Amino acid sequence: MGSVAFRNVTKRFANGHEALKNVTVEVDEGTMAFIRGHSGAGKTTFLRLLLGIESPTRGQVVVNGVDIGKLSRRRLPRYRQHLGAVFQDAHLLMHRTVFENVALPLRVTGVGKRDIGRRVRPALERVGLLEQEAYLPVFLSAGERQRVGIARAVVNRPKVLLADEPTGNLDPHLSRDVMRLFLDFHRVGTTVIVASHDHGLIESLGMRVIELDHGTLAGGRG
Amino acid sequence: MGRQTDPWPAHARPAFATVRDHARVAGESFYFVSSRVGASLVIWLLIGIALALPGGLYLIERNLTGAMDRWEGRVGLSVYFEPGSGSAGAQALAARLEAMEETERVWVVTPEEALEEFRGDTEVSDALDLLEDNPLPASVRVSLAEGVPSATVSRLAGEASADEAVEEVVIETTWLERLAAIAAAVERLGWMLAGLFGLGAALVTLSSVRLAIESRLEELRVQKLVGGTDAFVRRPFLYLGIIYGVGGGVLAAVLNAAALLALEAPLRTLLEGYGQDLELTGLDHIFAGALLGVGALLGVCGAMVASRQRLRGLEPV
Ligand SMILES: Nc1ncnc2c1ncn2[C@@H]1O[C@H](COP(=O)(O)OP(=O)(O)OP(=O)(O)O)[C@@H](O)[C@H]1O
Ligand SMILES: [Mg+2]
Repeated sequence: MGSVAFRNVTKRFANGHEALKNVTVEVDEGTMAFIRGHSGAGKTTFLRLLLGIESPTRGQVVVNGVDIGKLSRRRLPRYRQHLGAVFQDAHLLMHRTVFENVALPLRVTGVGKRDIGRRVRPALERVGLLEQEAYLPVFLSAGERQRVGIARAVVNRPKVLLADEPTGNLDPHLSRDVMRLFLDFHRVGTTVIVASHDHGLIESLGMRVIELDHGTLAGGRG
Repeated sequence: MGRQTDPWPAHARPAFATVRDHARVAGESFYFVSSRVGASLVIWLLIGIALALPGGLYLIERNLTGAMDRWEGRVGLSVYFEPGSGSAGAQALAARLEAMEETERVWVVTPEEALEEFRGDTEVSDALDLLEDNPLPASVRVSLAEGVPSATVSRLAGEASADEAVEEVVIETTWLERLAAIAAAVERLGWMLAGLFGLGAALVTLSSVRLAIESRLEELRVQKLVGGTDAFVRRPFLYLGIIYGVGGGVLAAVLNAAALLALEAPLRTLLEGYGQDLELTGLDHIFAGALLGVGALLGVCGAMVASRQRLRGLEPV
């Protein structure tokens, strides 16, 4: 549960720009991989295709044997319920408490009240925000918001965890903590794909690297 | 690649989960509405007025036809005697009519009583005092039994006018015919207004719900990102539509009740002139329930259209 494959994927936007060009990549289940590349290389586009937010112009994005581009409107939400996604901007609900933000994926899948508490609190504890559970996001620092976003991404125990520059707002110490968190999920069998600029961090972890250059696959490592 | 039965199975979902989510969303929607009392009240009033107009016309029409039903076949006769002929002739005629099977109620209005009635009705009593003689005639009023054929009515009228002292016999059917025509017109007007104003009520919810959606677009995007289904994302807005619609229905019922209360006194006076007691009907729990139901339905429809328009192409983040 959680193998990812891009097969000759090209993504051309309405303005004619090709953000990905004939990309073929396989990420096995349980792998942790980094997507690296200059700004505009196509990292975010790669992740948005995986989330089913964009669909490929050509080729297939296949997750767990299913062509994501062909999922019906009804099935797409169910697929997303098995993913966890973290963005550089945490995209939190500003009028909801930290707790409610993290509980959202559980509400979507119909988890009961007591179980929500049982699962939200450990997730908040892992990102070190248990004491702020009643705060509104406006009272949090950028790094804290980012960590709320991470807690929300992992609270439903996703099969695939996607992160777009998750450490962009964090100091080196916190970045390392976040990566350690991702590593923990990787160790229990979650497929983790992280787009990042942070060369030092990527090198220090020694994981698989997918290198993008102007939308084309430029080798990498792993 | 071997095809599994379902590579992305639905999360184990407790049987009660959807009901629970409905309850949660309903609560949140109430909170949303009550935290914006001012704006919500305006919306309720708009919908309420839109529903109250056709509702009120329905009540009027229903009471008019109700009144006609009660009078059907009970045509009245008024036999007016020559002024100054005294009431003895009237008493005699009344006795004769009373004995007939076709009559239900016969009563004599003496010139004195007629004068009293006239005094009560008008503000010319001072002028009346100046007159030496009572200018009003005695009369016999007859209400006929149910189902008396019009031929019999004419025969009775003929018999009454055969009396020397009788000046005029009035068959009181014309006002019934008029009433029937008015009721038919009111009914038609009611349907037209119901269509127009129902559409108006739906449009009011539509634009209010659209505003609510617009103000929460960020939230909806996040919900879609974490796998919120269309039903899940749309749910709060359907409840919003229901709350707006039902609230409008409540206000419409209140407005109708107030209007009926205000109309009761003048209508009573009007009907008493025909020897009838006022019996306003229609404003019961069924009517109120129908207003709420129609309000809820229109609210849901408006909310459906709004969320369909706005949420269809909405992509997360
Ligand atoms: N909706 C769009 N319409 C047109 N062009 C787009 C659209 N989205 C992205 N692009 C273009 O596609 C290219 C790849 O964008 P993408 O966001 O994937 O880059 P990135 O690798 O994530 O960059 P960064 O590191 O700056 O986040 C960019 O040149 C961008 O301008
Ligand atoms: Mg990017």
